[in-house]
Amino acid sequence: MSNAHSHGDGSEHPAAPMVEEITDFEVLEIAVRELAIEHGLFTADDHRRFTEWAESIGPAAGSRLVAKAWTDPAFKARVLEDAVAACKEIGIDWAEPTGFGTPSDYMNLRVLEDTPTLHHVIVCTLCSCYPRPLLGMSPEWYRTTNYRRRLVRWPRQVLAEFGLILPPEVEVRVEDSNQKCRFMVLPMRPAGTENWTEEQLAEIVTRDCMIGVALPRPGRTADIHPVQKARRPVKRTSHPPETAHERKK
Amino acid sequence: MSARKDVLKQQDIIGSLQPAIHVPQNWNYEVEPDLYKAYMHPPHDVGGQFDVPVRYEEKEEEQWELDTYVTCEVLGWRGLWNSEERRRRADNDLGYTLYLGIPYYGRWILAAARMLVDKGHISLVELIEKIAEVKARHGKK
Amino acid sequence: MARSRSPKNPQRPAGKARFKVGDRVRVKDLPNLFYSRTQMYVRGVVGTIAACTYQDVIPEDEAFNRDGQLEQYYIVRFRQKDLWPEYPFDNDTVQTESPERWLEPA
Repeated sequence: MSNAHSHGDGSEHPAAPMVEEITDFEVLEIAVRELAIEHGLFTADDHRRFTEWAESIGPAAGSRLVAKAWTDPAFKARVLEDAVAACKEIGIDWAEPTGFGTPSDYMNLRVLEDTPTLHHVIVCTLCSCYPRPLLGMSPEWYRTTNYRRRLVRWPRQVLAEFGLILPPEVEVRVEDSNQKCRFMVLPMRPAGTENWTEEQLAEIVTRDCMIGVALPRPGRTADIHPVQKARRPVKRTSHPPETAHERKK
Repeated sequence: MSARKDVLKQQDIIGSLQPAIHVPQNWNYEVEPDLYKAYMHPPHDVGGQFDVPVRYEEKEEEQWELDTYVTCEVLGWRGLWNSEERRRRADNDLGYTLYLGIPYYGRWILAAARMLVDKGHISLVELIEKIAEVKARHGKK
Repeated sequence: MARSRSPKNPQRPAGKARFKVGDRVRVKDLPNLFYSRTQMYVRGVVGTIAACTYQDVIPEDEAFNRDGQLEQYYIVRFRQKDLWPEYPFDNDTVQTESPERWLEPA
């Protein structure tokens, strides 16, 4: 971890010093990619196509799914019955970009519905399994050994550190995504949103709400965490936190 | 790197990477069953281990990280490996020192390199020479 | 449900699922060697089948690129108090996934 942390307001790191020289991992990545292409293991076009897909995903799709489920009970029933099929209704095809999905995400999505007495939160204690086609890339903190170690044993402490304190009568259910299901939380629709449109509702369904470390509420439209600035080049759009990706139509 | 003082500095760094088993390990004629079990425990299985609160932070995704992710996935798409092989290599075969000590996507790309050599798709010397060439191309010492 | 892989071998489906939702099961504590996705923290602990999910290759095979035989997977629910004796809240739970061979009736 960098020493460039700001310990003042706790909201943002200063820009990390840019590393001038190419790093060893960048070198290794270039070497592996070039050799793979030279040997015909995959083509540059394969890499470009997958990159385009990877740059198109983001949590906005999940937000739309939740907002639609809140306003359309029949759609919600389909989400809970077969989430992969329901995703197609909002333009997310889990078979992309290869025709059989990505090699790492599998096509077994389950949406976990919160109730007044049940709150879900997801983790992968073994690596960082995450529903990428619907939520984009996982946040860095989700991949840390710290989150993975602690969430299954001290969930209420971890949630409190995210600012979420739940009463003891609410069951906290941790979903450890350790095999081939992928999970997303369907939070409860908050009070004060009765006449809102789907677009308005989607704005308050942030990524953290769909992981289960935050609850949606009117006025809360972003997940605020300290941000480690890149030390090496970032091309085109960066993945979250800064950019809410609107899926290409 | 070839200067003697650099070699000695490297020795210090490598020494500091030893797993923290604070008992002498010079003659391992036997391993106690509990220690054997700990040795055999896959490093990725961390759920329930003690840790202290930290600031949960985001990170801007760097280009090499996205490229690494895509390279590993395309290798899967084209049938070179499956995700379970990647996770096995990346998260476990590297051992604790590397597992805990390098970036998330550093594990991925090391795993991809190792797999391509292990399965005979590229030779180790070919990879080493490519690494040297890429370093030279980018003016890296 | 489809799997994210183009298999190299013909796939052999699993037989009839051994467990159903609500069954009590104990996670086996088999020796560790090289690889496992059955976490230490659930081993030897009794939980309840929460869902029968899909059939797929088990991790111990897939990690070594053996991809023919499929097996039934389940989601198992554990009480936090059964996992961590010091856990202070009665109602809280953890769910994880497991292929059938790691489970036995309890």
